[in-house]
Parts: sequence; C-alpha cells; structure tokens
Amino acid sequence: MSKPWYLDRRTFLRGTGVTLSLPFLECMSVNAAAAPRPKRFAAVYFPYGVSMNGKDEHAKWRWFPEGEGADYQFNESLKSLEPLRSDLSVLGGLSHPNGRTIGGHDTADIWLTGAMLKGAQMTNTISLDQIAAEHLGDETRFRSITLSNTGGVGEVTRSSTLSYTRTGQPIPAINQPRLVYNRLFGVEKGSKEEQRSQLTNSRSMLDLVLDHSKSVRGKLGKRDQEKFDEYLSSVRQIEERVERSEQWLDIPKPSVNATGLHLDADDSTPEELMKTMYDLMFLAFQTDSTRFATYQLDNMNGATSIAGKFPQLLGFGKSSHSLAHGGNKPGGAEALGKWDQFRAKQFSYFLQRLRDTPEGEGNLLDHTIVMYGSSNSNTHNNKNYPTILAGGSQLGLKHGQYHRYGEDTPFANVHRTILNRLEVPVDAFADSTGELEEIVA
Amino acid sequence: MMMASWRPGRLGMMKKFRAMLALISGAAVLGASGVFASADYETEILPILEKHCFSCHGPEKQKNDIRFDTLSTDMINDRPAAETWHDTLDVLNFDEMPPEDEPRLSDNERRTLIAWLNHEIEAVVKAMKSTGGRPVVRRLNRIEYQNTMTDLLGIETDYANNLPPEGLSEDGFKNNGASLQMSAMQLEYYLEAARMAMGKAIVNGKKPEVFRHVIEESNGTAGGKSQRGRDYSNTLSRTSFFLGKIEEDYHEHGEFLVRIRAKADLKAGQGYPRMEVALGYRVDTLMPERIIDEVEVTSERIQTYEFRGRIEDYPLPSRVQSKFPGLLIRVTNVYDDGSPMPKQETVVLEPAKGKKKAKTEKVWPEEPHLPTIEVESVEFAGPVFASWPPKHHSDILFPSKKRQTDERGYAAQVLKRFMHRAFRRPVEAAEVEPYLALFDQVRGTVPSFEEAIREPLAMVLISPDFLYLVEPGGEEKRPLDDWEIASRLSYFLWGTMPDERLLTAAEKGQLQKKGQIKRTVATMLNDKRSWDFVDQFVDQWLDVGAVDRVAVNPEFYPDWNDDLKPSIREETKHFFAEVLHERISALNFLDSDFAMVNRPVAMHYGLDESPRGMKFERVSLPETSERGGLLTQASVLLGHSTGEDSHPVLRAVWLRERLLDDPPANPPPNVPGLDSENPDFAKLPVREQLKIHREQAACNDCHRSIDPWGIAMEGFGADGRYRTEIPRRDPEKKGKMFTQPVITETTLPGGTDIDGMDGLKTYLLEEKREQFARALVTKLMTYALGRSMELTDEDTIDQLTADFIEHDYQLHRLVQEVAASNAFLTK
Repeated sequence: MSKPWYLDRRTFLRGTGVTLSLPFLECMSVNAAAAPRPKRFAAVYFPYGVSMNGKDEHAKWRWFPEGEGADYQFNESLKSLEPLRSDLSVLGGLSHPNGRTIGGHDTADIWLTGAMLKGAQMTNTISLDQIAAEHLGDETRFRSITLSNTGGVGEVTRSSTLSYTRTGQPIPAINQPRLVYNRLFGVEKGSKEEQRSQLTNSRSMLDLVLDHSKSVRGKLGKRDQEKFDEYLSSVRQIEERVERSEQWLDIPKPSVNATGLHLDADDSTPEELMKTMYDLMFLAFQTDSTRFATYQLDNMNGATSIAGKFPQLLGFGKSSHSLAHGGNKPGGAEALGKWDQFRAKQFSYFLQRLRDTPEGEGNLLDHTIVMYGSSNSNTHNNKNYPTILAGGSQLGLKHGQYHRYGEDTPFANVHRTILNRLEVPVDAFADSTGELEEIVA
Repeated sequence: MMMASWRPGRLGMMKKFRAMLALISGAAVLGASGVFASADYETEILPILEKHCFSCHGPEKQKNDIRFDTLSTDMINDRPAAETWHDTLDVLNFDEMPPEDEPRLSDNERRTLIAWLNHEIEAVVKAMKSTGGRPVVRRLNRIEYQNTMTDLLGIETDYANNLPPEGLSEDGFKNNGASLQMSAMQLEYYLEAARMAMGKAIVNGKKPEVFRHVIEESNGTAGGKSQRGRDYSNTLSRTSFFLGKIEEDYHEHGEFLVRIRAKADLKAGQGYPRMEVALGYRVDTLMPERIIDEVEVTSERIQTYEFRGRIEDYPLPSRVQSKFPGLLIRVTNVYDDGSPMPKQETVVLEPAKGKKKAKTEKVWPEEPHLPTIEVESVEFAGPVFASWPPKHHSDILFPSKKRQTDERGYAAQVLKRFMHRAFRRPVEAAEVEPYLALFDQVRGTVPSFEEAIREPLAMVLISPDFLYLVEPGGEEKRPLDDWEIASRLSYFLWGTMPDERLLTAAEKGQLQKKGQIKRTVATMLNDKRSWDFVDQFVDQWLDVGAVDRVAVNPEFYPDWNDDLKPSIREETKHFFAEVLHERISALNFLDSDFAMVNRPVAMHYGLDESPRGMKFERVSLPETSERGGLLTQASVLLGHSTGEDSHPVLRAVWLRERLLDDPPANPPPNVPGLDSENPDFAKLPVREQLKIHREQAACNDCHRSIDPWGIAMEGFGADGRYRTEIPRRDPEKKGKMFTQPVITETTLPGGTDIDGMDGLKTYLLEEKREQFARALVTKLMTYALGRSMELTDEDTIDQLTADFIEHDYQLHRLVQEVAASNAFLTK
C-alpha cells in the first residue's frame, strides 16, 4: 500500500539531510495506531507536607486515605480525586534516603533529583524532568517548561524551582503567566524574513560572545572561572534555543483560545494564578509545545516565598507554614486539611482537563504521567512523602490502588518507574533499587 | 522608659565598651551564638563520650568502624573525621544512639554534644564555602541592571521585567556573587532587553510630528468595576474622578508628556490630596491601565504637573477592532482619611419629555470635610523630545564627518565609546573587533546604518564585561585599579554604573589613596543616587519586604488598610537615612526619641504630631511614647507576624539574625510536631502555647533561646500598633472572637528578666550594644563586598567595629571606613 504523503519520520529526516530532529508534524501521524504517541511528564510540588494526625472528629482530615489496596477510602482532603480513582495511585511511606538526614526545610530541592544536599555538599544533580527532556525533548518547540509561584531559582535548600540541569544548576522557574503564554503561544514580532535574519544575527552574536568570553575566562582566578562557567554554558544553551527557533520558524505557533486565562494573575490573586498555571501546562501538552513540565506551588523559604500567604488570601486563615505547624494542634488538622483539599481540587481540575481531551485511542492523561506531592509528610518531617501518581495508562502504568511502602523502598524508585514507562534509556536514577512493580501493568 | 538619643559625648561609657570589646574579641564569642558558644572538648565533650560511647566505639570495640577516642577533632583539616562527626550529629538528632538497651543521655548531655557538634560543623561548612576572602565574579542583580541600563542609555523604561526573580544569599543579600546565578533563560531575556533598548535608543528616520491634545472636561467612560464606583468630574474626591479620552492620532512609540493644570481645595486637619495619573484604554467593562505616577497637590493656586513615560510601556487600544476606541487618561484623588464611605442618595429627576414616570438617579453626597483637587485641563503630547535626533541617540551616534567618509571607521569609534561606558573601563582597539565583525555581517542585510549598528550595540549589552563586575585575578590577592574601585564604589553606594565624574577620577588615578576614597564616599552619599544604597541595604539587611509576604486579616484588624504597606516599608528606610545623613548614633536603631513618619504612618501609630502629606518627616516622640528605634516599626512587627497575631518566634529570629548576627540553627530533620493533648490549647495565650512547646526536649533545645525575645515584643500586634489585648478566635465556638491580656514578662537566655519592649530595648542598649555594632559592621561589609563574611575577615570586622564604637556609632563614618578598608580595595 502506498502512502503518498504520510511520511515516515526517518525517511523524511534522511531525505532532507537535517541533523537535528524535526517537529512532530501532523502529516506524519495520521495513522494513529502506528505512530508513536508523545510521552509526557508533569510534576507538581507543594511544601511543608499535609494534615496527618487528626483524631476523632478530625480524623477525616487526614490526607492519606483509609484502608489500603483497591478498597481504600479517600478522606475529605482528596475527595475531589474520586472521579479519577482509576487513573491514579496513592503512594505512602516513601522518602529519599538522602532527604531523611537533611534539614527539615531543605528537601524541596531534591524532590525530583534525590541528591544529597547537606553541609558543604551543596551541588544538586539532574532532575527527573530534565533527564526525560534530554532524551525525548527534541520533537517539540520547547524541551521543557519550568514554573513556580515564587519564580526564579531561590537559594540552595530553599529553591523556588524543581528543575535542575545535568550539572545540577537550578533552572529558573517562570512565575508570570503572561510570560509563559508569550513563550508558548505569543506571536513573534516582525515578518518571517525579519525573524529569520534576527535569528541569524543572534547566532553570529552568540558565537562571537562565546569566543570573547573564553578569553575573559582565561584572565579570571580559579573560583571566578567556576562561577563564570555558568555564563558560558548559558550562551551554549541559548545557541541551541536559537537553532531550534530557526528550525521551527516555518511552523506557526499553535493558536489557543486565551479566554478564561488570567494572564495577569499574580500573588494578589492566588486562585487565578494557580488555575492559569495549570491551564498553561495543559495547553502546552495539548498543543504538543512541550512534553515536560514542572510546577512548584510554593517553597519552604518563609523569607522569599510570595506564595506562603496564599492560604491567608484565600480565607484559610494562616500562612502555609503556620497551617502546617498547626497541623497537630486541636482544630489545626481541619484548618490544614481544608488547605490540602483546596490544592487537591485544583490538581483534580488539571487531571480532568487532561483526561477529557481525547488522544489516540485514549486521552491526553493516558499519555501523560503526573506526579503530585511533597517532600515532607508534615512540617520538618522528611519521611512518608504524600504522593499521587496519575495518568500514563497507555504508557504502562496500572492504577486504582493505595500502596504503602517501608523505608527500604527509596522514593527514587518512583522516578525510575516513570523513566522506564517513558522509555528513557537509563539504568537507574539516583539511589533507586528498582521499579515499583505494584503500579506497573 | 524612653532612652535618650545616643549622641556623642558619652566618653566614659565608650571607654568601658572598648575595654569589653578588647576582652571578648579574642575569644571569638561575639559572632557566635551566645547560647551555643562552643564547649571545651577535653573537659565537656570527652567525658560524655567516655561515659556513653566508648564501650562500643572506643579502645575495646569499634562497632561500625567508629572509634571516638582517636577520632580527630580538627574537622577543618581532617575531612573524613568531620564526616564521622556529622553522622554522629545525625544519630543524636534522630535519637538513634545510644541504643535502647543502653543508658540514655541526659537532656543536658545531649544538648551539650549537639551544640558542640553544630558549632564545629558549621565552621567546617564555612571553611569549605570559603572564597578565600575574595568576592566571586558577580553579575549585576535585577535592580543594578535596571539602574545601569537606564543611566547608560538615558531612557527610563522596564528593562528587567522578564528576568527571573533573584535568589537570596544565605545571609539575606541580593548582591552576593556566589548566589547570583546565570541561566540560559536569563541570558535570553538580557538579549531581548538589549535589542528592545537599542530599538528605542537609536532612532531611525525623519523627525516625527508631535501630537498635542488638550482636554478641558472629563469626557471618557469606563465600564463596570473600572469606574470604581466614582462619578466623572473635574473635581476629584473620594467619589469622583477625571477620565480623559483621546481618539485622535496619538503616537504609539516614544516618550509622552501628560501635563495637568490643577489646584487643591485643602481642609483643616486633613492631609494634602494626592493625584494619581494612569494611562490605558477600555475593553467592555475593564480598563487595562498602568499608573504613571502620583503627586501631592499642595497649592490652592493652579499649578502645572508633568508626567512622562514611554508610551509603548503602557497598554494601548487596538486601532482596528476596538469597540471603545481611544486612549484613556485617568486622574484620581487617592487621598482617603479612613472615615467611613458615605451612602449614595437617590435623587428623583424631572420626567423626560412625553414620559409620565419620573426617573431616579443615585448620587454621592458631598464630603465637605475632605480635600479635593480641581482639574483645569489635561494635555497629552507625544512623541516629545528636546532635540532631534534625541540626546539618547546622539550620545551614542555622535555627530562626525567620518560617518560619510568612512562608515566602518565611524562604527568602530561608536562602539569603542559605548563599550568604554558600558564596561566601565578603557577599551583596547582590539576588543572592538568582534563587535565590528557583527556590524560587517549585519550591514549588508539592512538598508540603514542605524539598523546595522543596533545589533553590535546590543551585543555589548550581553557581553560578560557589561553584565558582570569583571575583576581579573590570579591566585594572589591584588589591589584594585582605579576603574575597578570606581565600579565597586558606584555599585555599593548608588547601585548603578559610575558617572562621568567618577570615571574621570578613575582616569586621573584619583581613587588610590584612602583619603581620596573617603572624600569620594562623602560626596557620593550627598548625591541623591545614594538613596539606592539606603533602599537596597535596608531592604536586604532588615528585610522590610517581609510586609508583602504577610496578608493582614481584616477580621482581626478592621481598621487596617493595605495601602499602608508601601509607607511602612519606606518608614524604615527614611529612619536609616536620617541616622546616616544627620550623622547621629546608630544606637538610635535600638531606641530613639524620634520617628520618621509620613501622614498615613503617623495616623496609624496614633502620634500627636503628624506631617501633612506623604513626605517623611522627623517627628519627636514624647517621653511616654512606646515607640522609638527599629523594633517598634511596623515593617518589623507586621513582617514577622501571622497577619492575625504577632509571631514571637519569627520576630525573635529576626532580631537575632538581623540585629545581633546570631541566627538560630535551622530546624533539624524530623523533629516531632507539637502534638498537644490539651483540648484548650488553641485558646491558650501564645506565651503558654510556646511554653508547652518548650516542654518537649527536641523543641526546647532551640526555642528556649528564641522565644523570650519575641515574648518581650508581644505588646505590639500584627499591624504594628501598640496593644493591651490580643484578639483571638475560639475554634470551638465557631470562631467567635475573644480577647486575652498581653503578657510580656520573660527571661532572656542568660537569665536576665525583662518586661516588654522597653525592657528589651534597655537590655539591648546596655548588654548587647557592641554585639549590635559588630552585627551592623558585618552586614554592611557583606553588602559592600558582595560576598559573605568569613573567618579571615574577623580582624577587619573587629577593627571597623572598634572604630565605629569609638566614633559614637556614626554610620556615615563607618560607610567611609568600609570603603577605605583593604578588603574593599583588593581582589
């Protein structure tokens, strides 16, 4: 059977002699059954843990469900996830062994990396999303996107980003929805020709800057050189971005309907801000602009977090840190539980949008693995991470149960399971010892 | 009790303090925690280890290969030993050792061991992070970048908008070379900003026509919420505003000028009315807009007020498909004395012709007690420029015949001149080559010279020589050259690039002698740009930005108004500026007999004396006032509260970290949460809750040296007001409010009993003044050098502190001394 225009990707690449891989064009994917569907991953993190120890009438505010296995019951906090029960697993008892020994507020940095971050050892390692993006990120306009409500990188052990490069450099998170939107969907200024010549100029400019910078580096002292390497590697990375923009120049950015997006939401309108961030992640996946996204809702730095006051602004009474501290006091379990509930509802909204969008033989969620959770169970406690793993049914994940693990199972086994399901060719991740077999189909 | 302001002349006391300082500086206790001062290993640590650990980890047995009797305590030089000690700290923190079947450590033994380990390990960490007492190459932070771009190009616009927010260093600073990161995304936005900037700076084409339009009566309409419940009028009050509409052909690129002719109608006992001007447009019921500025209208005679901006920085209506075409200029009187808003009255109107039914309309009643603004006219003009091409253009593309005869040679000259200013140092001809290469490449692709030169100029702005303070250096320390000193001084005191005068001084070699430097510093502090030093240093040292991270709950503070927050932040900065510029003792930070307030802050504090407007003025505090010094300023009190109540722990941590440079340790991993069985816990006073908290050994270890500082400050609520009662909510009675009395008696670590804020201030002034002085010196050095202080800096800090105390705690002198210190002048 001849397929006059349904090009095979490989043939297409050979034919044009391009060295870099090309966008995944629709004309290559008409035969849905044969074409590989995109594999995606998103991670959403919140700090300080959850309501754990409510007693008597407050027991219903415990985050972790009652019971285990397939017959578990959601408590109040996670009830909004009930409709998604068959699309997710609740995981309990897990933690990074490295994280168990470091400061009570210091673990957000390593949630996706599993690194040791203590004493003088302050260099992180590559995060899960970035490993996946390295291997599978070539086919989209953006390799990955990194979001957080506070934005930037923050400081070591109190970072405001979840993503780290191969050398352990934090990747700054964007916290302005409009900026995310403009990157993903905004129309570039100027005609295509003008854009092309500007990209050509950029390329020359960066080449020249790189050459010049190497000579600057040579004049610096040793410690300065180490710091200055950040600059050099940044130049190299945007060279790659420029190259990718050139490749994508002829393919218009997807147009999306911006109605309902609160692009100017900021820290004074937290509900709109978080909803819009979720919406943008959804749109990024739906339009296949990227396949890897991380979103940190808040960090554990009272000194810089602009998101700490969100529960106050939304009527939950206290800052996120204070709610977490109050979790064991009478009445505190409920106060914190209601905040947990609010966050879960927003997360549930994101999952449902993914699930309600058909893709291939299933839906977007079936081809997207989403991890949601924290690196504290309750505040300062670096064990028993509250974790939800959702989606990816078409990628080989099996859901519908609540699994509890002992401390002999490192949290990185979740990461390894995810990487394996995404078919990222790595043997291990951090200190993983294997996959979580219970959730593998 | 109020302390007198600490002016020069207390020589007797000074001598005593100098003697004390000499006594303690050798022991290195000053900088370390007064509570966790290091124990002596032989007499205090070894006996505990012998008693509890040696049986398994000593001469006989070495379980797990750990042996304490031979383990080196020189952790800095013996890293494997340091690792073992670190593991020891972990097992103690987790209560894993001694094992269950062995005798337990007493609380005291455990505490002593942990404190010693913490102290020693902290020293190792510091040593490992050490930069050898030299700043790491640092890039300009967001604010420095914004200021530098503005000064370099002479155009005020947002350059740093898209840059990711800056991280803080561990000690709370935003200009620390080691913690300022570079990333691909950051560089991408630098490039975007550079091109945007050059697009504005270098103009192309003929002199544009200037558009002028005068509006004499409010003629615009906004919809829905954007009307803010106000009527349209030329008289601006709480209930009316001016909305001017321009549908004609206004420009969409370049500088604009809004000129408003207006006068005030002032009222006795009230402040000056404040005129806020914004530019935007209407989309149905919304009005996207951006505020240009706000001024006080203080004169009852017509005056002209000018507002400028770049129109492309403002939201503009679409020319093609707008349902509500036209630019809107909103002029609003934002003065509000806080009195309740009046109710709208219903007025019956005459029936329209041929209609029987009379219509009604809701109108606002007059508020004759409030000041208003009368607008005579609003003029809009643009693009405005003093000359064509504008100065920002000809500063870069200077007039030269060469441009016609040798375009490439001219380009080289242009680039060299620009690079000299951008790199803040002389530039060799060879350095221009790469930029010229880019010019050559671009020139053939575009019609005009202007378009071609923009690209290499933009390249200058992403070059490391511009983005970083590049100070070449080898393994040996070296003195800085004049140009480097000019930049260090400029970023320290102005937060921006050196100006012509400084660069000239550098060129003439006038920045090498310490006397010259001190004189230069004095001149620079006199310049209005030194506000940046006040603004940035106070922000980072005292964290006044904390107020923006707390939301005040109006149920607890019904009088609260969020508009106070900017004034509250400014108060502390003006207070600092007063101490600096008036050259009075920095002990005024601990207590003072004056306050720096504007009208809203004075009203909020309930002061008898109040300035009339938004300008901050010095106001004397009566003997009986509870205020004075930093500790009673709302920036501190609100910033470290929950928004419902005080937060004694946060306040205490702030005090120890910022004023005493003695931050408590971070919470260790896996401390048990406070699991109170007491059902009345939530109803207990905070002081009692904290006491229960401290009953648990794991919490008490740290909190016994934290909580008391905060309890002394309980007389001030989250809003920063003095209080005698604490509003609380009863969780069992559906959140019904009740009040509790304030109790501020407490025992400070070390055993001193104090009561309340006055007691705390007296204690700080009498017992901690030299520690405070040293803390301030340390913080100032950290900011000036852009790096954290290290062990090798101790001598410099000691000397500066001694000099500071000797010279009556004069901040102005301290700034000069810091700039003239060897640490500041070497790389």
